[in-house]
Amino acid sequence: MIWVDLANATINGIVIGLLLALPALAVTLVFGIARFPNAATGDFMTFGAYTVVAAKSLLALPLAIGVAMACALTALLSLFFYWWVFRALVRRSPVASLIVSIGIALVVRSTITFFAGQSQYTIEVPLVRAWNFDGVRIVPTDLYIAGVAVTALVLTFCLLHLTPLGRRMRAVADNMELARASGINVGRVMITLFAIVGFYCGLGGVLIGIKAVVLPELGWELLLLLFAAVILGGIGSPLGAIIGMLVFSVSQEIASLWVGASYKIVFAFFLLLGVLLLRPQGILGKVRAVR
Amino acid sequence: MSLLMLEDVAAGYGDTDVVTGVNLQVGDREIVAVAGTNGAGKSTVVKAVMGLTPRLSGSVVFDGHELTRIPIEKRVSLGLSYVPQVQNTFAALTVLENLQVVERVANRSQRIKDMFDLFPALADRRRTAAGDLSGGERQQLAFARALMSSPRLSVLDEPSAALSPALTAQVFEQVRRCPEAGAAVLIVEQRARQAIEFSNRGYVMDSGRIVLTDTSANLLSNDRMAQLYLGQH
Repeated sequence: MIWVDLANATINGIVIGLLLALPALAVTLVFGIARFPNAATGDFMTFGAYTVVAAKSLLALPLAIGVAMACALTALLSLFFYWWVFRALVRRSPVASLIVSIGIALVVRSTITFFAGQSQYTIEVPLVRAWNFDGVRIVPTDLYIAGVAVTALVLTFCLLHLTPLGRRMRAVADNMELARASGINVGRVMITLFAIVGFYCGLGGVLIGIKAVVLPELGWELLLLLFAAVILGGIGSPLGAIIGMLVFSVSQEIASLWVGASYKIVFAFFLLLGVLLLRPQGILGKVRAVR
Repeated sequence: MSLLMLEDVAAGYGDTDVVTGVNLQVGDREIVAVAGTNGAGKSTVVKAVMGLTPRLSGSVVFDGHELTRIPIEKRVSLGLSYVPQVQNTFAALTVLENLQVVERVANRSQRIKDMFDLFPALADRRRTAAGDLSGGERQQLAFARALMSSPRLSVLDEPSAALSPALTAQVFEQVRRCPEAGAAVLIVEQRARQAIEFSNRGYVMDSGRIVLTDTSANLLSNDRMAQLYLGQH
């Protein structure tokens, strides 16, 4: 039966990995383009999850509209903090932006707690029976979640590699000074970046809220995992962030078969250390000699 | 009237001015070289023109526009282009993308075709990431990227750095042909003698100041200046 357990753990790991790939992508995009690790990413996810809870419970809106609201409002929240705070720190040390982002995370979480309290909420979706293939269980809801995440990720890659806006974003990530000297409006690129980041944090928060329960620490507790996945995949590499998150998530779920849920994250971090020993730049990170 | 005019420019980093009292002019379709010893402030002058120095005072006027009040990204649309000394291409973007990403280019697809005609080696490597090109190919790409917007003035910061003599000759030949294409050139070069040879005029810098300016012929015939600042190549 071990292969059945392995298969179930792998499927679960892939689903969680795919939905967490959205905020991991947000982390790596901000790191690659705005050049700082955004510690507010997790709490933006929490904001997205609570927006759906509020939309369903207070406004009795359908889930789909709640999800759209969550993505839009989290994008606005992300833009607000870019415009108010991060914009002024563009030429400062990344450490300054990191510290400020931790402050923003605390502000967002405290505000959520002030209005919603410490109670746990759930984002209810219609109950459906899992498909059972000789013990290998696939829940249709998980497939929808994975489908939404994959669609969002594919759209991001199309944006980055097939559109002029994506080229501009990659150019700014590569060399901000040269980008400006090439006529690229870096401010507009940053606005687009923080809108996309907010959108994905909101969507990721809703999806993880559907899989788990919604509470004020939902995103903050995932932050270390997101940063670790980004490092594992190669800092600044969007595809690396997704692969890193999938590897991290699947390895955790498989580890839980032997070491239990409490220690599964330790196994994943050992894996991270092992990969970095062999490949310090991460799975898809590149070391380029540029003159 | 000069296309570019610097008046009493001081520029630098932190609390320090690297260059002071710089007065420099570039006329329409003119090639002007800036020479001098290492650390004389040559690159700081071109960075000041492009708005890339944190400290700047004095006046930088391009085609009647006071540049100190214009954001860097808008200078491209005025007709300025810039090739930095290092990191002068987008390493993660392909050759083609490096050309596509330049803003404010009229008839972009034709312009890209023109650049590939001008630099055939790049056409063969259009899908290659710029970071994987050889030094010479990368320098050609940097030059092509700067020419994409059909500039009226190209500002080049040591375009021959780290190139072989053969590749340097190729790059200098491209620079020499810029006025035919309608562009003036302000070039900073370590190979000062070669650069001044194909320039109309030259400026010699020492310790952050311009110590001599003259026509190229006069600079090259001034034995003492040539010995002190221009070197043997």
